[in-house]
Amino acid sequence: MAYSQPHSRVSVLSTSSQSSVEHLSPAASSTRFSLPSIPATPGFQASRPAGVRPNIYDRNLNKTRITEVSGAAFTFLFSEVVQYTQKRVSGINDLERRLNTLGYRIGTRVLELMVWRTEAPSKAPKREIRFLPALMSIHTQVWRAVFGKPADAIEKSVENADEYMIIDNDPLIERYISVPKDMSQLSCSSFTAGIVEAVLDGLGFPARVTAHNTPTTQFPSRTTILIKLEKSVLEREEVLK
Amino acid sequence: MSHHLFLLSPSDTPLYSLTHYSTKPVNNVSSPLASNLPNWSTSAFAGTLTALSGASGSAHQTSSGAVRMGGGQDRHVIQMIANASLDVIEDIMKTQSTMFLKSVDKFNEWTVSAFITPGNMKFVLLHEGKNDDGIKAFFTDVWELYVKAMLNPFHTAHTPIRSPVFDTRVRASAKKYL
Repeated sequence: MAYSQPHSRVSVLSTSSQSSVEHLSPAASSTRFSLPSIPATPGFQASRPAGVRPNIYDRNLNKTRITEVSGAAFTFLFSEVVQYTQKRVSGINDLERRLNTLGYRIGTRVLELMVWRTEAPSKAPKREIRFLPALMSIHTQVWRAVFGKPADAIEKSVENADEYMIIDNDPLIERYISVPKDMSQLSCSSFTAGIVEAVLDGLGFPARVTAHNTPTTQFPSRTTILIKLEKSVLEREEVLK
Repeated sequence: MSHHLFLLSPSDTPLYSLTHYSTKPVNNVSSPLASNLPNWSTSAFAGTLTALSGASGSAHQTSSGAVRMGGGQDRHVIQMIANASLDVIEDIMKTQSTMFLKSVDKFNEWTVSAFITPGNMKFVLLHEGKNDDGIKAFFTDVWELYVKAMLNPFHTAHTPIRSPVFDTRVRASAKKYL
């Protein structure tokens, strides 16, 4: 991947600012995205006057099969995301933070949609209020919703009581990424870390989530998502015990 | 009988609010406090005080949904009751895992029911009568609509929901269940 080459192509992501739309994440970035408007699907186009799109409230939230995204398309999109971000940052930390912010926006939506799909049909829908079950559901359900398979392991730090790790042996989003030697600290899974952070935040367990490369001989792209919980979470867990 | 719905973001910013006048029969619980209080007329806060005491004003009876004044129907009083109930809601949601919290708080003739989404959005509903099943069905509808609204990439946790379609759908659901 060309990391630091300025390129002359017109990017689909323009930097034109969105009027007053505030950013979702606490770490708001100054760049905003706007996509050129895409015409509605051909089927709809035929029955509607031009320019009228089907509105989002008519859609069924449960149609998952046909809305799966191909791995190739996602990899291409994510590669563009990384390149786009790379051109606008001053260092690896900044790049990871930006990717985290982008993931955060996904995470809030994943959480609501995923829980809606599982809980809405039930008579008394429930939220997670304890940390460990919430962590388990991130490991299995969130991973399954986002990547199609559960993560490989959960570990608890021996030294620090407030640190937990989710381990993915072969992260989907890094499958076609090879990080140059001089940027070896970079983990593009910061994007995933952002998703995890948003889910934890939403459930009421504020934490700082970062991604780290922890390769083994068997799994060269093994990645650890490190969760550092805020003090308030541990205090609350003590009370609830 | 009127209902007041507020959608509050995780940071307690109101994103959407709705006042719905139901035509269904009222089974009102009268407030004992109201009958024991004198009529306040000299103070500039007369309206608020009367409202807070729970004395239902005489202008309470309309079926057409016209604007009603006094007697706990003042906009700012309603908002204050809704905001005050947040304390109770936040206490309960730490220990109770159900999303639908029925009758969490009471204030004179108002009962407060709430719904907490997994992403920590709070739907707060002020109502007068008892209608648990209807309210639950209503909240479930609003939840689905909210999930659809928040999937929109241009929606953030602080964006007020101004979509007319959202509004129409919520009103239709309110008419059906409340």
